[in-house]
Amino acid sequence: MIKSMRQSTLETIGLGSVHSIFSKGKLPVNAAEQVDKVFGPVGNRGSLVISGANGIVGAGKLMQFGSRLKDYNIPIVALDFPGAPDGITPQYKGLASSFGKKNADEIMANVIRLNYDGNNLPSLLKSLNPKFLLEAIPEILNVKKAHFELFRSNFPGIEIRSVTSGFPSKELGVGIYHPAFPHQINKIWEVVENEPSEITKLLWALGMIPMAVSDEWSFVLDVLFCGLMVSALRYNRATNIPFWKIDKYIRKFFGPNPFRAHDVIGAKGANFLTWNCLHDLSTKYGDLFAPTEALVEHKDSGQNWYPLNHLRPMVNTTIDAAGSMQFNIWILGSLFQMTSLMIHEKRSHFSIMNSVGELCAQFRKGTLALMRNMGAEQSKRIVEAYHKLHPEAALNAWHPEALDNLDSNDWKQLYVNAEHDGEVGVITLGREAYNDDVNAELNRAIDWLKAENIHKVILTGDFHLTTQLVGADTNEFFPALDHHNIGYRISYQWSKTARRLYHEFETSVAFINGKRCLGGMLELFQHCHYIVTDDDSDLGAPEVNLPVVPGMEMCHLPFRRTGSDNWAKLIKLLLEGRSVKGKDTVGWLTDYSAQGEAAIKMAWELASKGELAMPKRKIHESSLYIPSFYPTAPTENKNILEARKAIMDTILASCGANYHEALKVQSECSAKFMTSDLCRKGFVGQEAEKTMNV
Amino acid sequence: MNVESIFPKAHIPYGTWGASYFPAWQSSPLAEVNIGQFAGEAMAYIMGKRKVPMNSLDYLVSGSTIPWHWKFWGSPFLASCAGQRVPGYHLEQACATGLKAIFAAAGAVQGGLANVSGVLTFDRTSDSPVGVFPERRSYERTVALSDVWDNFGFDPATGGAMIATAGNAARKHKIDRKEVDELTFLRYKQYFQALDSGFLAKVLVPLEVLNLQGKVMGKIDSDAGVRSISLEALHSQRELDTCVTSGTQTHASDGMATMLVTTKEKARELSSQPDIDIQIIGLVEARALPSLMAEAPAMAVKKLLQQTGLTMNDIAVVKDHNPFAVNDAIFAKELNYDWHNMNKTGCPLVWGHPQGPTLTRLSIEALQETVDLGGGYALVFGCAAGDVGIAGIFKVSEGGKA
Ligand SMILES: NC(=O)c1ccc[n+]([C@@H]2O[C@H](COP(=O)([O-])OP(=O)(O)OC[C@H]3O[C@@H](n4cnc5c(N)ncnc54)[C@H](O)[C@@H]3O)[C@@H](O)[C@H]2O)c1
Repeated sequence: MIKSMRQSTLETIGLGSVHSIFSKGKLPVNAAEQVDKVFGPVGNRGSLVISGANGIVGAGKLMQFGSRLKDYNIPIVALDFPGAPDGITPQYKGLASSFGKKNADEIMANVIRLNYDGNNLPSLLKSLNPKFLLEAIPEILNVKKAHFELFRSNFPGIEIRSVTSGFPSKELGVGIYHPAFPHQINKIWEVVENEPSEITKLLWALGMIPMAVSDEWSFVLDVLFCGLMVSALRYNRATNIPFWKIDKYIRKFFGPNPFRAHDVIGAKGANFLTWNCLHDLSTKYGDLFAPTEALVEHKDSGQNWYPLNHLRPMVNTTIDAAGSMQFNIWILGSLFQMTSLMIHEKRSHFSIMNSVGELCAQFRKGTLALMRNMGAEQSKRIVEAYHKLHPEAALNAWHPEALDNLDSNDWKQLYVNAEHDGEVGVITLGREAYNDDVNAELNRAIDWLKAENIHKVILTGDFHLTTQLVGADTNEFFPALDHHNIGYRISYQWSKTARRLYHEFETSVAFINGKRCLGGMLELFQHCHYIVTDDDSDLGAPEVNLPVVPGMEMCHLPFRRTGSDNWAKLIKLLLEGRSVKGKDTVGWLTDYSAQGEAAIKMAWELASKGELAMPKRKIHESSLYIPSFYPTAPTENKNILEARKAIMDTILASCGANYHEALKVQSECSAKFMTSDLCRKGFVGQEAEKTMNV
Repeated sequence: MNVESIFPKAHIPYGTWGASYFPAWQSSPLAEVNIGQFAGEAMAYIMGKRKVPMNSLDYLVSGSTIPWHWKFWGSPFLASCAGQRVPGYHLEQACATGLKAIFAAAGAVQGGLANVSGVLTFDRTSDSPVGVFPERRSYERTVALSDVWDNFGFDPATGGAMIATAGNAARKHKIDRKEVDELTFLRYKQYFQALDSGFLAKVLVPLEVLNLQGKVMGKIDSDAGVRSISLEALHSQRELDTCVTSGTQTHASDGMATMLVTTKEKARELSSQPDIDIQIIGLVEARALPSLMAEAPAMAVKKLLQQTGLTMNDIAVVKDHNPFAVNDAIFAKELNYDWHNMNKTGCPLVWGHPQGPTLTRLSIEALQETVDLGGGYALVFGCAAGDVGIAGIFKVSEGGKA
């Protein structure tokens, strides 16, 4: 029996718990088997058909599937009208730059372009034995339905999924795979199916991120994306503040820029889709979603939201303190109400609803995290204040009771989950970047496991929402540029949390898989008794390039756990900022590296057997003498040289202290650097300037 | 005395107005902007401050006098810059523009052309354009004309310069230089009192101008260039024409002004003080004999009083657009009115002369002052190129103290 703080998101797509991946020593499904299940075995392989393949979605997804299915030799039929403007050829360049010309050519070699008139499928199609149709034709219900009928009558057993932006599955009569922009690279799909299908599991096995959502008019992403847009438009209507400026404020306070996003996606299409989504939503839920006149105008005209280049704005509009209250009420009030509706309707797992906002709609924190952090009372007050400004919105679709259970783990553990079998626990990170929320949730997960009497733990990504772990969320550093105490608190608190992994468990195992584990996340993982990595994962400390000084003990902890003969490697890693492959890190940064499932098995072995399986690399607690000179790759870049020096100084100072004092020493160094001119001139400073200085 | 409005359906919602400050020629970032685009964006900003959503407008009457880039596109373009795609039209009649635009908007509401018409006037004298006109019959064959300065210097109908129209009128009306200096001195005092009391801040809105990169390039937050002046200094100035010195005439400046005209119901909805009712009573124009512009305003006022049956005793607030101080003196003499009682919050003689928006700003100040007094009639008048005088009367409901 596996007990968990909350349901793992992996379970929502039928792939079980993360714990069982480790206890069974294998992934729930693998790509080769799933390909066989969906397209038939080698020798009798069928094809994938993408209809509307010249469109924005069709062409993007053609590239994505093409690259991921290349090794399985699945023919991909690109179906469209004969006269449709070619959307595929322009994709080739991007494909070649991502995968190299040779791979790009091989990917394209599997693409078969077929044209038809919309009524009679090309006879050639039969010979290609279509198994799966991904429909990406225009958002017109009857046209889509007729299209499905055409395929069903010709190919009775075919699996069909629609990329529709908002028609429910029950209207379309097929399952839904709603993709997120940009379509070539975004791995996220909102999935509507009665049961998780073999194709959905194939998407997962191919490294994509299917997210189960419920069958409603418009799915989670579009409620958030279009909902934010209409909230911004209403604010514009009330204040006349121009779209571009509202975008800057939304970006400052919440992360996205909805108007820019429409222009970038292509205003003509995006305006229509947003209007369409809001129109459907308002038909069902009332004025909360009603498109404004400006949206109708932009839908009908297809015009951009940002001014033309020759009309760059001239008059500044700033929002003062009172104004920013208003702004928050207009935007957050409406978003919170929309979120309450989605929770009420159980549209998805909470973590998924929250992550869709972050991963697909550029929210710095998902709306659930925002509500939770604000608290139920304050969140409700914001919605009520919004209703004073927009009374019609109050008539429908407000579910304050959705906020009643903020104490439940569904709310409290949006990013971090814990599971155990009574013996070994698994802590999963569902956010690629570490921030205060993750920190707090990780602490709660540790508390929970301890309360459950679990002394052995594996720390890992969640095998679903995270496909890599990129390090600290640099947004959290913005206030630290001006306030030393904030930088210090971040470094000190996060390090303290990380230390719990070492001190509060009998055995802790960090498991690294996915594309990369960098910066703060790698630092976090360094605190575990054992570190197991996949051979192919990239491990690195890119802080020097930002620059910041690592503040979760990377500057001394790994030195204390390896012999002086390995220090040169650590210093190279920290000062050059280049990643190394997992397989090259054993003994100085990690304890074990292997391919895929072998690594998973070892993580389990170490977690359950501890030192019986492998001795722990102990922490050398007293001070270390580190020679101050190590050769590093030469650079002319003064900023890099200065950052290297700051990091080297931190290494010397924190290694020179004992393990206990080192916590404070490195926090001090990290915080101090954050207030330096160099940091301000660098990535963090520039991002802060761009985002916060509106 | 109750006088019927010539536009009984048109009302001005109290407070839904504003103007930029009017920085002097070449003294602010306004010298560097496309003034039409600036005015449109500023209108949206000001209306936002006044809590008027731009989408309540369905028409825009605009006015300016100095050619600007893209002027061809007129009101529709300006409305787009203000974020509201409505039709409308642009009008131009030298310094009469700012008052005519208000009446034109009232006419649009009265005639059913508009429900809520914006009024937007503006001009940039700085960096004013030079037009190149093929003129076959002129000996140069092609004439280059610096719009502001060359026109000031030469009225093609009379062959005279603008300044001469003031000197001629001063001589005709036997105006005394000393009185004109004293009058000017008072006008400055009135302006600074209005500034210090916070009155101007009620109607003028500080604006920040952005550069191409979207960074703040400067602020338009004062009538830059206005400096207090002593009576001695005024006396000591060289006379350029009779009673005209550099101190007793205005200076070129840049700026914009905006307001709304709408129906009674809509005015109540849009105004922060719905009980204050503002109506437009009447408007007349008059034309003096050649090169006597400075007496034209008095002629227009006389005609308007006659038409409405009002007397100067009925008027609560009097505002004169006075590019020459002589204008006020002639008006006072002709109407037997004490010039101390007028232009109490400042006037174009002091804050400058951007042409298009001048009389709109003056009207806004007049209305605000009348509201502050608890209501009554406001008389706004002035001169305009071509020896024209224009005068209008507004009525603010009694008791509507803001
Ligand atoms: N654009 C987005 O970002 C986005 C995001 C998510 C979902 N969607 C959904 O994706 C679908 C397609 O949108 P798009 O933006 O790619 O549109 P698009 O107009 O760019 O592409 C549609 C393509 O379908 C082709 N087509 C039309 N009828 C067809 C038919 N009967 N058979 C085969 N091909 C046909 C057209 O020729 C065109 O090439 C819509 O349902 C939309 O709601 C779009």
